[in-house]
Amino acid sequence: MRTSPDVQELLSIVAETFRTDLLPHIPPAQRYTALMIANALGIVQRELAGSDEAGHAMLAALALLYGEDADDSLSGADLRQRVEALQHRLCIEIAAGDFDHHGQDVLMECLEEIVQARLGIANPKLLRG
Amino acid sequence: MGALIDGESRPRLESWLAGATGATRVSVADEGTLGGGAISLNLAVTLDIDGGPQAGRHACVLRAQPGGGAAASGMKASISKAQEFAVLRAAFGAGVAAPEPIAACGDPAVLGADFYIMRRAEGIGAGHKVVKADQPQRGLARELGRQLGRLHKAGPDTPGLEDLPVPAASPALDCVHAYRDWLGDLALRDAVLAWGLRWLEIHAPPPGDLVLCHRDYRTGNYLVKDGGLTAILDWEFAGFSDPMEDLGWFCARSWRFGRHDREAGGLAGREDFYAGYEETSGRRVDPQAVAYWETAAYMRWAAIAVLQGRRHTSGEEPSLELALTGRMLPEIELDLLRHIRGLGLTASAPAAVGAEPSGDADEERVA
Repeated sequence: MRTSPDVQELLSIVAETFRTDLLPHIPPAQRYTALMIANALGIVQRELAGSDEAGHAMLAALALLYGEDADDSLSGADLRQRVEALQHRLCIEIAAGDFDHHGQDVLMECLEEIVQARLGIANPKLLRG
Repeated sequence: MGALIDGESRPRLESWLAGATGATRVSVADEGTLGGGAISLNLAVTLDIDGGPQAGRHACVLRAQPGGGAAASGMKASISKAQEFAVLRAAFGAGVAAPEPIAACGDPAVLGADFYIMRRAEGIGAGHKVVKADQPQRGLARELGRQLGRLHKAGPDTPGLEDLPVPAASPALDCVHAYRDWLGDLALRDAVLAWGLRWLEIHAPPPGDLVLCHRDYRTGNYLVKDGGLTAILDWEFAGFSDPMEDLGWFCARSWRFGRHDREAGGLAGREDFYAGYEETSGRRVDPQAVAYWETAAYMRWAAIAVLQGRRHTSGEEPSLELALTGRMLPEIELDLLRHIRGLGLTASAPAAVGAEPSGDADEERVA
């Protein structure tokens, strides 16, 4: 059963209305708070719309590091769990010193892909900046 | 946060202050909360002191540890208000432009929270305003270097600092352990943080001088009036460490407020800041060590952002600002990775770290 408008559509019009109708009229003393609200709404919008996309980018980077095939069919919670499991494995290997002497370039590539994917949601203005 | 000074607490505060300042009578006017208090509560107060050595009217700040909040939810990086007051006294005594400390109170019966009172300084502090200048602020960068050099003359032997913890073996490894502790299980779930911690472990410099560090010495934490420094604020993270820690923190990208071409706090090139530091500290700046501590700066800021986010998610201190600080993690991690990558590229020429072109040349390149 689909509710219409759905949560993304509702959020989208909330954010838009807040930015165009309210933000310009907020008194200076409350402007910082209002800007934080606009920022938070933007993060929620991007996460709702793009969390699977970010997950696939992270999975692809991790799969490449491990010489595995990324599973493109995963989505939602399954995708998140797969990314978390691979990151956990990587964390343990890093802490154990597996990348102390070699593989740092490949590791750095992978970590940058992961960060870029998360930045796409948290603060896309900084992407490839 | 509820009002700290009300009809009930004011007489207690005034009579305690009279005792603490040797006055016959003190009256306190409360002028409201000051900004910049993510961890502490800052109240603008004016004291009218009758009698005693400090008689007169004084514009002051009352700085309190709000009840339970930060301490309860694990803002582990900060020290107690009594320790902060001792640090302020040591810094002020060493000729550092710290606000003049007036009195500290550890008796919860007075205001229900630990607090101290210091003289209020004038000026603007907001980072994005401080860095707004057409030309690099070379004199200000140099003066901030001088101030830091003076602060770093204090150490574990300085009278009044007996209650500050001394790192066990190596300040660098002590920091790594602290960051890992603050991050908790996130150090095993976020590969960027895991790599940052490991990198700091492998490259940790051997223990050297141990000095009193501010540990949040950065643009945004000092006041500027008419282009000149008036006061260095926010001493709640102070502790003993490697002197290069404060220099790395000051120069980290996180505190340039968009003026990335001016590597010393968004003000000017590093050379001005370093030169000022060398004038007063009696110590040479080691650019390679600063680069190590800049990596540590990103890790520390990442760990603090995680702790701040957790203060919100724990339910103890619901706050949009704290929640959004937690969401800053990826951008701090990007700075961390960029910095480590940059070190790799220049590893054979460490001297290049401190010798970037002048701010003017950088400006043209960016534009």
